Order: sequence, then C-alpha cells, then structure tokens
Amino acid sequence: MTDVMTPPQPALFSIKDLHLSFPDRAHRPLFGTAPRIEVLKGLTLDLPEGRITGIVGESGSGKSTLGRVLVRLLAPDAGQVTFDGKDIGTLDEDALRPLRRDLQMIFQDPMSSLNPRHKVWRIIAQPMKRYRRGGTRADALKALEKVGLPESFADRYPHELSGGQRQRVGIARAIALEPRFILADEIVSGLDVSSQAQVLSLLKTLAKDMGLTVAFISHDLSVIRHLCDDVIVLNHGEIVDSGPVQTVFEHPKSDITKALLDAIPRPEINDSWFD
Amino acid sequence: MNNLHAKTLDIINLNVTLPNGHRLLRDVSLSLDPGEVRALVGESGAGKSMIGKAVLGILPTGISISQGEILLEGTHLNALTPATRRKTIAQTSALIPQDPLTALNPVRKIGPQITDPLTRIHGWTKARALARTRELLDRVHIRNPDRVLNSYPHELSGGMRQRILIAAAFAPSPRLIVADEPTTALDVTVQKEILRLIRELQRETGTGVLFVTHDMGVVAKISQKVTVLFGGRVVEDAPTHRIFENPEHAYTRALIAATPTPNASTEPFRPVPPALIAELHREIQADDDRFSKRAHR
Repeated sequence: MTDVMTPPQPALFSIKDLHLSFPDRAHRPLFGTAPRIEVLKGLTLDLPEGRITGIVGESGSGKSTLGRVLVRLLAPDAGQVTFDGKDIGTLDEDALRPLRRDLQMIFQDPMSSLNPRHKVWRIIAQPMKRYRRGGTRADALKALEKVGLPESFADRYPHELSGGQRQRVGIARAIALEPRFILADEIVSGLDVSSQAQVLSLLKTLAKDMGLTVAFISHDLSVIRHLCDDVIVLNHGEIVDSGPVQTVFEHPKSDITKALLDAIPRPEINDSWFD
Repeated sequence: MNNLHAKTLDIINLNVTLPNGHRLLRDVSLSLDPGEVRALVGESGAGKSMIGKAVLGILPTGISISQGEILLEGTHLNALTPATRRKTIAQTSALIPQDPLTALNPVRKIGPQITDPLTRIHGWTKARALARTRELLDRVHIRNPDRVLNSYPHELSGGMRQRILIAAAFAPSPRLIVADEPTTALDVTVQKEILRLIRELQRETGTGVLFVTHDMGVVAKISQKVTVLFGGRVVEDAPTHRIFENPEHAYTRALIAATPTPNASTEPFRPVPPALIAELHREIQADDDRFSKRAHR
C-alpha cells in the first residue's frame, strides 16, 4: 500500500524560519498595543511535490495556523514561504490572485463551508467560473463523478446529504479547479469510521492520480499513518518530529510523538492500557 | 423505591417513534448492572444517543416512546406521572454530554452551575454542595478549584470544561450516568485522561454507565458490555472481550475492521461493505412490516 521509497521530489513548498503571532486580546492593557502570543516559533520544513504530508499535534499546537499560512489566508510575521520557487509570504492580495486557484482548501465542517442555499452543482461550478476554468453544469458533473457521487446529487442541497457525501462535495469543489496544492484541515473528524474510510481512500486515490501535493491536518495519528507519505508533529508552535510516516511511527524521536501514539485507543482488549 | 437486587437499568423492547410513525429505535432491549459500563456503538443514525435520551426523558420534541418499558432501579418509568418521573430520573441519573460548551450556561459562573442541582434536586445544604464540588474538582485534577468555580465557561479549555462536567455528573453519586460521546471533541492525550477519570469515579461510586460512542477503540478500553446498533436495531449484545475476540455478527466485525490503527500491518480504509448495509436494511424492512401488522391487529 505505501509506495516504494520514492526518489527525493523537488519541494513544492519550502518554508524557512516561519514566525507568526496573534495579539493577546485577553491581556490588552488600557492604553497601547496588546502583547502578542507566538503561535509558530520558527518553523523550517519542505512539502515535496506530489506527496501527502500529515500535520499532527494537540489543540493549540499551531497546526491549523500553519495550514492557513500555506494557503496564504494568514501572512507570516517573519521567515520565508516559498511556493514553486516564489516567495509568497510577502505578496499582497493582488499579487496572490493568480496563485489562489493553485492553493485550495477542504474544510472541517462542510455544513458551514458549503452554501446552504445553493445546489451541489452550483457550489462546485461557481469557483470554476471565477477562475475561468469552465463552470457549466456539465463541468460540475464531471467533478462529481470523480468523487463517486451520481448525477442525481447535482440538484440536491447540502442539508440533504450525509456528512460523508458533503465532504465529497468539498473535495469535488477543490479538485475541479485543478489546483497544485490542497490543504485538508480535519476533514474526517466529524465522520463515523465507515464514512471516514470512504472519504480517505477517495482523497488518496485522487491525490495520487492527479499528482496533487496535500497537507493533511489531523489530530488522529491512525488516519495519518495510512493516508500520508510524510508527517510533521507540532507542539506549541515547534516541529518536534518529522519524516516519512513509517520512520516517525516506528522510531519516534520526541516524547510528544510517543505520548500521542500511546494515547490512541486501539480496538483490542488491553487491560494495562490505563496504567 | 430502591430495590437492592434490581438492575440499575433495564430496557425492554423499547420503540421510539417520529410523529409520522417512523421508528428510530426498534425493539431495543438491554440492561445495566450497578458499576457496569455498557458501550452503545454504531454509525451516525444508529440510534445510540436516542437510547440515552429516552432513558433520561429528554427526547427531542415530537419524538416519543411508542412501546416498551424502561426500569430505572426497578421502577417502571412509564407507570409514573410526568412530574414524579422527572424527579426520579433527576435524583438517580446524570448526563455527560458531547459538547461541554453548549451544556454549560455561558453567562453563569461554573460554581453555581455545579452546586445548584445538588441543593435543588438533592436537597443538600449549600455548604455540603460546595464541599462535595471541591472534592470532585480535586478528583478530576483541577488544581485551582476556587479560580475555576469563579470562571465563566469560555475562560476554560475544552478538556477543562469536560472535566468539570464529569465532576458535576458524579457529584451526587448517581446510580446511572449517560455519557454521550464525551471525548469525541478532545485530543487523544486528553481523551485518555478523561476516560481514566470516568473509569476511576465510576468504580468508586458504583455508578452504572451507558457510554455512547462510535469509536471501537474507546469501546475496547472503557466498557465491560457492548450493544452494537444499526438503524435503531440491536445487532449484537455481548461482553466486550467477546465483541473483540470473537464477534458474532458480520456488522460488528466490519465496524472493528473500519477502525484505523497506527499499525502498518492493518489494511487501511475498510468501510462497512455496501452489501452488508443493504442486507441490514432488508432486515429492518422485514421488521417494520411485522411491526405494522402487529400494530394494526
């Protein structure tokens, strides 16, 4: 299942010494500016082209913030974010516009990321039109087919779909634009295991077929083990472990990684698990 | 009221129905001994949360019990007047909900939210309620109880809020706790701690727990008995070790197989086979036909 040791791919993303902080509104003084909380503390990493990289860590580790920098919803305070040879960290919105189509995102909660008043085909077609990539009903149907949803779903509304089906629509919307990079932020955490398995195998097949580079954010190491080629473990805004999944899972370097692995309840009887 | 030999909970042929007659629970039977944890497991829509809601008398508007019996500590709940039933349930049972943020009142401090039920429902003095609350907060490893009691829910982390709700649920040493996916929203490390707390407190107080979850990994760690549900029907009911070592029903095996593990050896991404789901739906249909015949006789 895991592909044979692939030769080193050129990096699609190359990140150097990335820093990011948010103002700490809870401790804002009466006058002057609020102190800042450092969320990302000098991250250096590469995302190789055509590979799926898992980003894992506890709540507050900065994994979603890192994701948002990759798709440039957030700009770094300092450091370099190079996408395809271009430093995109400092670009303004006008300069980013031509790149936006290449950087797509699938969200955690499809109920709030799919327009509830639009039929499925329009949800998929609208961004295609915006980026001049077609946008007819027929184009949307093609994307639906790729995610394994029959034509009859085109005229449904998001609330008429199950959680797994909604997440497929989210994937269809992203891949319809033929992006080079997809950020998937906790896209299966709201689904039960069976729908989870369906959505993940779909994502893996599509990513490999289309040669997509994917950053897969999750708190679930079991899912990352089976989906991803590489993994980055974050803790309090720092990388504590990284490498090919097999290496990191079998020889975790950091205690954080070990603790995360130990805390996974496996579906087997083990009376000493709590000890 | 307290029958010493009675089971904590006995559910007999419970049917829960929408106003249009569609059944959400179909002849569900299960029982719970004092001090026992029974996992209710299944996919979305299997009816696992509905069982807990029916027991606690908090079914959503329009959904009602159409047939069947619920015995709480030997007391037939349907035989009671609504007011007595509410009182009986409140005095013997508690809920640990999935989302602690919606379960806590955002504009009240934590302290009174825990102590109010103890004084109002259980008739304790304020001093006793406060002492017990502090004791429980200490048990769930909250280091600074005074600060927490004076906080508002939004000032605390998700793991902290869930620990508070566990403390609140266990404070009156209830006979029954319904834990409805209490760890689904939490990180694995926090989940492990929360599961450990529930297990410790439940063993100490002898509380019976109905533990609703879709995670077979959690089932394996926390429960002694398992009820597997599909489409509102009980598919399998067995001791936990048997569910994992020798599951009888193909659906139980499929659920276990679909649960991802961090081992490389397990085959990834095995959804429940569509053929099996179709077969289960046919069984439900046949069941419904029998049910409507029974109803029209």
